[in-house]
Amino acid sequence: MTIIDFERVSFTYPDSDAPVLDDVSLSIPEGTFALVTGHTGAGKSTFIRAINGLVPHFTGGEYSGSVTLRGETNRNTLDSAPRDLADLVAFVPQDPSAAFVVDRVEDEIAYSLENLGVDRTVMRRRVEETLDALNIEGLRDRSVRTLSGGERQRVAIAAALAPGPRILLLDEPTSQLDPQGAEDVLAALQRLVHDLGITVVLAEHRLERVAGFVDLAVGMRRGAPVALGDPARVLELLKSGPPVARLGRLVGWSPSPLTVRDARRVASTLHLTARPEGERVAGKLLMEAAGLRAGYGRRVVLNDIDVSLDEGEIVALMGRNGAGKTTLLRCLAGLHRPESGMVNVRGEAPVAGRTVSLCPQRPESLLFAETVGGEVEVTLKATGSDSSIETALDALGISELRDRHPRDLSAGQRLLVAIASVVATDGPLLLLDEPTRGLDHQSKTRLVGFLRSWANRRRAVMLATHDVELAAEVATRVMMIATGEVIADGQPRDVLGDSSVFAPQMARVFGPGWLTPEQVVAAL
Amino acid sequence: MHQGAWLLWAFSGGLVAITTTNPFYLLPLLAVAWVVHAACGRPGPQARSFRIFLIFGALTICTRTALVLFLPDIQLGNVVEAAMEGLRLAVLLTVFGAYNTVSDPFGVLRLSPRRWHEPALAASLALSIAPRTIAAVATVREAQRMRGIEIRRFRSLPALAVPVLETGMEEAVMLAESMDARGHGRGRRTRYRPERWGWQATIVSVAGVLAVGVAVSALFGDDPSLGLSAFPIVWPEVSPVMLLAIVTLSIPAWLPVDSPTRKSR
Repeated sequence: MTIIDFERVSFTYPDSDAPVLDDVSLSIPEGTFALVTGHTGAGKSTFIRAINGLVPHFTGGEYSGSVTLRGETNRNTLDSAPRDLADLVAFVPQDPSAAFVVDRVEDEIAYSLENLGVDRTVMRRRVEETLDALNIEGLRDRSVRTLSGGERQRVAIAAALAPGPRILLLDEPTSQLDPQGAEDVLAALQRLVHDLGITVVLAEHRLERVAGFVDLAVGMRRGAPVALGDPARVLELLKSGPPVARLGRLVGWSPSPLTVRDARRVASTLHLTARPEGERVAGKLLMEAAGLRAGYGRRVVLNDIDVSLDEGEIVALMGRNGAGKTTLLRCLAGLHRPESGMVNVRGEAPVAGRTVSLCPQRPESLLFAETVGGEVEVTLKATGSDSSIETALDALGISELRDRHPRDLSAGQRLLVAIASVVATDGPLLLLDEPTRGLDHQSKTRLVGFLRSWANRRRAVMLATHDVELAAEVATRVMMIATGEVIADGQPRDVLGDSSVFAPQMARVFGPGWLTPEQVVAAL
Repeated sequence: MHQGAWLLWAFSGGLVAITTTNPFYLLPLLAVAWVVHAACGRPGPQARSFRIFLIFGALTICTRTALVLFLPDIQLGNVVEAAMEGLRLAVLLTVFGAYNTVSDPFGVLRLSPRRWHEPALAASLALSIAPRTIAAVATVREAQRMRGIEIRRFRSLPALAVPVLETGMEEAVMLAESMDARGHGRGRRTRYRPERWGWQATIVSVAGVLAVGVAVSALFGDDPSLGLSAFPIVWPEVSPVMLLAIVTLSIPAWLPVDSPTRKSR
């Protein structure tokens, strides 16, 4: 039985000429774990928002066709506003912190129940059950503003689930989570699908974790679903997928595997003739920090950390949510004063915006000019650099966006613009804080290319990331931190290779040391 | 502690502040607000907003005093009078700032009767704007600094204002979307685990009511110590009862924390 029916739905945002959804007709059966995927700008978020009526009730714009939700009675999203569908469909937006309404975790979870007029005794029981279902009992009395990224995401999902909806919509639910946190969230969602028969629809770019969980995929390309059905087939059509799928395409497996398990079954046909090799990049010392201790009030975040970076290095800084990655970057950038310890860049104290630059997690906190080119120009003027706008845009492969308004770009493109306007300072040390939210495959390829050529010119990059596959692809060194201490520091093949949580897919298929499909193919 | 008791505390502090321009009443009240903020402030972005209220308070004193300088024939008394009126506003702001750090901005929402839910929601969202904006300003300043833009001069203001307003707008839209998607605005509404009124709440409320009682009776009794005689400037009198009433308002800082505050159902 289907639960969501799109019938010839077309939608164009106000002030836009091109439709975001173009004559979409499809049905999603009840009890499905469905993935919506495609490039940024392909209409994934719009598609998800159309299911609970946020599109068009909240956006305005030109809308035709209809979306029907089949609960006890059939309900049409045009006739019912999102609030009237709240008992049937729940929605978790990309940035849960902006969506929290009240302050305490427990109250936040009760908020929907209060709105739906659920009886007090029932409400109490539901809140307790939901706290247990997402394993967040311990957070009950905390303020939502003090939670870590992973905790926030789980609270947001709990808050959505409390009223017992039949459909749960999620927009990039794992983009801010560490590998284990993401795994936990996805497993919790799968349990909901299996045990309660809830229909889950989620939009996601990073497919390596989610691909194994879903049983239906909607592939979007420029506003129209190009494929609906078996995830392996859909991803093959879109020419996207996790690294195992990329490997499958490179060596000609059909169908391409989607999970590590599938890949292992066919991998025995491959004979790898060489051992994975990695070379240590060593250049002149560029940045050195020793004995860093830092915290907020009484809370210690960094506990005696030593870091050094050589020219040419790209260091991936990894660790679970709340391990101190952001604080370390902030100390290196001179934004957070450590309680003790010292930092120097090329033998001198770091100067923000001159010798060290940091790209923030949200590009929106930086962008203000009318055009992409203007954004870079502002930096050039502020730092008195004689470099050109073209150079900075070229480096990131976004010259064609020069005259566009940053606001009209996709999340991935905006991030590239933010990086371009930060690197225009031309400082030798670049720090990136989780540059992967909303980053589609194409933008990620550009980012990787940029990082390599940047580091090559006697400079160094340190990026904090949860994206294991990105680290495997681009990092020359991986530093792992936990409870404010460095617990591993070395070449990616050693650090990532023998980790149970942080191993990239190739290491899981072929054993420790293998990092990317390209590396495997070269060894055939 | 029960949000109602905090609300009452803030109202009492505010009412006492507006009855007087005597610095020997206002300064202790300022200290009371600071002590309560320091002892009962909650962690998170609100904690930082107290400082901003202090800064605004200082600005108020300066502005109010500066206005007098435009008078044709200024005497020292005018300046002192204006400064004390500025101080009164500053203390009012500080009491509000302390309330902002100790209370849950959405606590008001939980107290409001069902039919007042909408205005109460608007009020609590408005209360949460100050700390949110302060956090956004800090984030944007740092982000711009990291690409060499120091926001000091008027010319660099767009680099601060545009991202702050834009992210603020974006957040507002996301919040509205989320609220609607979670059923806000449907007719029937129930309330989850109302707060329990503990003995601490009673003590604080009694202290608040007493302080207001003393201040109001002084006001209607034409107590000369409330005002300030500026022509000529005379050292103001101090009534011990009034001073005691003000000090009593610091009682939340001395009480043990009132933790399990919810009814079981």
